[in-house]
This record gives sequence, C-alpha cells and structure tokens, in this order.
Amino acid sequence: MTMTASSSPLIHLIDDDAAVRDSLALLISTVGLRVQTWADPLAFATAFDRESIGAIVMDVRMPGIGGLALLDRLVGEGVDQPIVMLTGHGTVDLCRRAFKSGAAEFLEKPVDDELLLETLQNAVRAHVRSRQRHTADRQARERFARLSEREREVLALIVGGLTNKEIGRALGLSPRTVETHRANLFDKLEAATLARVIRQYAELAEAGLP
Amino acid sequence: MNLAARRPLMLLLATAALAMAGAVWIARGELAERRAAFETDARIAHRLLSQRAAQHDAILSTLALLQPGQPGGGAEAAPEQRLPALYPQVRQVLRRDRGGDWPGPHGAALRAAEAASRAARRAVLAATDLAHGTYTMVLAADPASYALQIDLDALVPATEWPLPRDGAVRVALVLDGQLPSGERVWAPGRLDGRGWRFDFSKHLAAESQPFDLQLATRVGWGALPWGWMAAWVAAVAATGVALIAWQRQQADSRRTHELLRLGQVGRLNALGELAAGMAHELNQPLTAVLANTQAAARLLADEPPDLEPARGAMAQAVQQARRASEVVGRLRRAVERPELGAQLQPLRLDAVLRQALDLVEPDCRRLGVAPSLQCEPATLTVQGEPVALEQIVHNLLTNALHALEGVPAAQRRLALDASAADGAGVLAVRDSGPGIAPDALPHVFEPFFSTRAGGLGLGLSLCETLAAGMGGALTAHNVAPRGAEFRLSLPLAAA
Repeated sequence: MTMTASSSPLIHLIDDDAAVRDSLALLISTVGLRVQTWADPLAFATAFDRESIGAIVMDVRMPGIGGLALLDRLVGEGVDQPIVMLTGHGTVDLCRRAFKSGAAEFLEKPVDDELLLETLQNAVRAHVRSRQRHTADRQARERFARLSEREREVLALIVGGLTNKEIGRALGLSPRTVETHRANLFDKLEAATLARVIRQYAELAEAGLP
Repeated sequence: MNLAARRPLMLLLATAALAMAGAVWIARGELAERRAAFETDARIAHRLLSQRAAQHDAILSTLALLQPGQPGGGAEAAPEQRLPALYPQVRQVLRRDRGGDWPGPHGAALRAAEAASRAARRAVLAATDLAHGTYTMVLAADPASYALQIDLDALVPATEWPLPRDGAVRVALVLDGQLPSGERVWAPGRLDGRGWRFDFSKHLAAESQPFDLQLATRVGWGALPWGWMAAWVAAVAATGVALIAWQRQQADSRRTHELLRLGQVGRLNALGELAAGMAHELNQPLTAVLANTQAAARLLADEPPDLEPARGAMAQAVQQARRASEVVGRLRRAVERPELGAQLQPLRLDAVLRQALDLVEPDCRRLGVAPSLQCEPATLTVQGEPVALEQIVHNLLTNALHALEGVPAAQRRLALDASAADGAGVLAVRDSGPGIAPDALPHVFEPFFSTRAGGLGLGLSLCETLAAGMGGALTAHNVAPRGAEFRLSLPLAAA
C-alpha cells in the first residue's frame, strides 16, 4: 500500500469482505490517497481518527450494524468527513434514504475505478474546504471575542453601511472617538480592509447586537 | 376482527330471542282466542237466561191481567195449571184468591212477597231455595195474585245451552244482595292447577229476578299450542343454524382467498429476497475483480510500471472470479427443484382447470371476461404433479388475462380447451389479446425474457421447465384472427 505523509488525506474504508476491502484499498491508493481499512463497522465507529482529513467509504450491507444505521450514528455524532455509501443492490428507496441521512454519495457495486476515485477526490477536496472554513470561522470568533462592548456596537453600524459621522450621531460620540474605535477594532480583528471585515464579521456583528 | 368473532354469538342470541318471542306470541294468540270464545259463550248463556227471566215476568203479568181460573170465570177451572206443560221450567203455578190463602207450605213467605210486590208494583222473589234448584216469584194482583215456582235446572233446555258439557267451565247463578242469599252451581268446573283464569259475571236483565250469572274457567299450560310453538322454534333454530353455517362458509372462503393472496405476495417477497441476496453475493467478488483489474491496469500504466503489486492484484482478480462462479453454482443447487418424476399421479384436467379458473375469477370479473371451458372427454385424466400443473395453468391464465387488458372489453375472449390427441392430454389456453410479436415468439420461454414492463420474465420459463419435468411440453403460437395460444401437452394417465 502506498503511504504518503501523515498529513495527506486519509480514506476510511469499511467492508466486511476482505477481498473487496483489499482490492478497493489498492485501487484507491493508486491515486496517492492513504487508506485505512476496517472490517468491523462498530470498531471503526469507536476508534477512527475524527480529526483526519479525508472521506469515509462503507458498504450498506454489513454485519452487526447496517450501513444506514452507522451513517445515522456518524452524522449524529457530528462527524464531518464526507461519507460515500456502496451497495450491491441499490434501490431508489435505499438511495433516497442514504442521501436524506447525509451521505455525500451513493455508488453501486461493482464500481468503476474512475467513478470511485473521482468521487473520493471530490469528497476529500470538499472536506478540506469545509475544514478550512471551519478553522477560519473559529479564528474569527476568537478575534471577535476580544472586542469591547462599544467596539462591537461600532462594528455593527459599520457593517450596516454607516459613515463615521452617522455612527457618532447614532451612539452619541464624536466622530474622532468613532475613528479611534474603528482603528482599534480593525487592529483586533487583524483585518486590513473594510471589505474583509464585512465579509468575515458581518454575521457575528449582527448576532452580537442585543 | 373482534366483531367478526362475536358475530356468531350475537346471531345465536338473536335466534334464541326470536324463537322465544315467536313462541310467546303464538301462546298469547291461542289464549286470546280461547278467551274470546269463552266470553262469546258466556254472553249467549246470559242472553238465554235473561230471556227466560223476562218470560217469567211476562207469564205472571198475563196471569194477573186475565185472571184465569176465577170461580165462575169460565168453563174450564184453573187453566193456568196447564202452564207447566208448556214451559218445562215452570214447576207449579200458585194462586191466592181474594180473601183466601196461599196453598202449600210457604204461605207466610208468599204473603210477605205479595205485600212487597204490591208495593213495588212488579213481581218479586219469594221462598227461594237455590240449593234445591228452585225459586218462586209472586205478582200481586186483583182479585187473585199468582206465583210461579221455577225449576232452575230446567231454565234452558240442554240442546240450547251454549257451553260445552265437559265441565271445564264453572257455571253458577248467584242471588245477589237478597236474603236469603245463595247460589246454584250448575257445573263446578275445573279451576285448580296452573294456567290462566277467565271470569265472567253479569246481572240478568230482569228486575224481578236479581241473579248474577257467573262463569269461570281455567286454561292450563297443557292447552297451549305446543305443537305450533315447537314447530316455530324448530324453524327459527334451523334458519339460525343455516345462517351461522353460511356465515362461517363466507369467512372460510374469505380466508382462503386471503391465504392465496398472501401466498402470492410471499412468493414475490421470497423472490425479491433471493434477488437481493444473489446481488450481494455476486457483487462482492465482482467488485473485487473489477477493482483489482483496474488497479492492476493503473499500476502497469505507471512509469515505470509497478509490476509486483499489479501481479498480486491480477491473482486476486482470478481468485474472486472463481468465487463468483462458485456463488452461481451454489445458488443453482440451492434453488434446484426436486425431480417431479417421482410425484406424478393421475389428475382430472377438468377439476384442475375449474380450480384454476376459480382462482382468477376476480380478475375475469374485473376485465369483463367470461372464460369458456371445454373438456373432451369430461373425464380426461393426465399424469402430472398437482402443484406443478396448477402453477402452469395459473400462469397461462394470468398471462392471457394480462394480454386481454390490451384490447377493448367487447373483444376479450378466453378459451380453455382440453382434449386427447396421440396418447397425450392437450390443454389449449387461447386469448383474443394482441398476440405475441413475431420476433419475441422464439424467446418467450427464455428466462428473464419479458415483454411486460416490470415483468421478471420467469413465469413461462418456469412453466416450460415444469411441463418438461412431468414428461410433457409447452408451446406457444399466434392464432387467427388475433391472439395467442399456449398448448400444454401431458401424458395421459393409464386407464
């Protein structure tokens, strides 16, 4: 099995059939993705690395816990890796249920290599983006928390499109004071431009208003 | 469900109630009839006695007016003494001339009565002796007063008496409100025991003779029309039993149909389960084969080619292909049908056909098709396995009915013809549907070949296999002017 650096994306592959597991793992590894295989769905659910970047591939029909039940459980626990379901006897109903439960993709066995690999690469890309967004959100929240009460009021009015003068009138401050708050909050938010402040903090600012 | 289970019990109770009510109604009718007859008789008796009493008044009045038997009054002395000959109830006529005295032992009583009569200006009773069945009535007059001694028991001749002489009715004449009081019982009646008592009491319509006619009788339980009542109860019970039996039969028939439908659904489910299992069992090795070969292709396409893992992948692919083939073999062995040869037995074709038609009867009704059935000879008997033959005929009928859905209702025909030819029993199932497309005709018995959307394409394939298993054959043709005909031939049973 080709292994790349530990920070490269990791595919979790769950299937109770060893031949299927091994062959799919081999196939997936040919495009440079790391694969961790699991025979037992419950062991996977308790032991897999939730922080890893990548995707989960699993069969619908597995002993112990069905694929759909496992899907529900993972989604319920907030697992954010995209989950690709594989099935040997796909019905429209099964497919609908899988998507409704939050599956990223639903593929029929036997699955063609291009379809599977493309699906996995897309899933990994989506997961990377989602993690980045998540990180950015968290950082933004942390910075936002540093603002004083007054600075948050000023930020909300900035996001609302008001000029310094108008903000001063609205809050009963002199334009100069507003200007000082403005400079401080740009500093604290580590934002260089007004556009960036608005893009990253508009939601937080509006939610932060009493 | 619960209601259906309680229904026979409710029916039973209703039947019992109806039987009881009917019997009571019959008994009441009989009692009312008897009471009416009793009262009619009583009124007739009362009228007769009243007429007699009035007659006595009339006789006395006539005597008082004409004063017969007066000394020197006529050639004949005491012609009133001839009255007892004319009226059987008149025992004696007495006369007291002016200044004379009443003859006989009751002179004092008669004198008192005469005084009362004179005061009341009508006849009055005197010297009544009801115990001995006699009373005397006196009418005061001038110059002579007269008295009649009446024989109670001869009041009404037996031939005119309306009441039956069997003694069931108590008949009494009661002197009411007079002294001495008393009564004359003509018949004691039979008033003891259980049952219903009828009473009648009426004053005679004659002021001079204040008698009450009192009648009473009792109708015992034995007099009820037990025969009719029993007949009614029996009739109701028979109807109730028939109803319950009919209801049970209906329920049975419903259950049979339900079971049949369940069986069909069950077969479909089993088939679906089989297909799902087969798909999984086969798809696993196929997935591995595909993934291995495609991984190998990718590894070989690398520069330089990654030979060792590619070889391993190909070896895996071969192994998994073998596994798939084993799965197919195992499946075939699992669903292989047992040999039919050992279970062959003589089967009457007409019975099989009728049963099969019975099963598709709801569909026929829905489509407005009246299937025609001809079996020549009627006793045509083939060698076959009952379930297999039933399955074939049912499938052929179902197919024919499906085909008929495609033509207008007026043109739907379905014919079953069974006949003997060349030592074989031949059943032809012919429909007037669109027929089989010429290019489809060679394939109709192939598995998974279906012209029907959603059809599995296993029905006819199974039929042909079953027919062959019974030593017979199944063929398909189109017929003129339109329609398809399936011919099933099976060996005739040895006579």
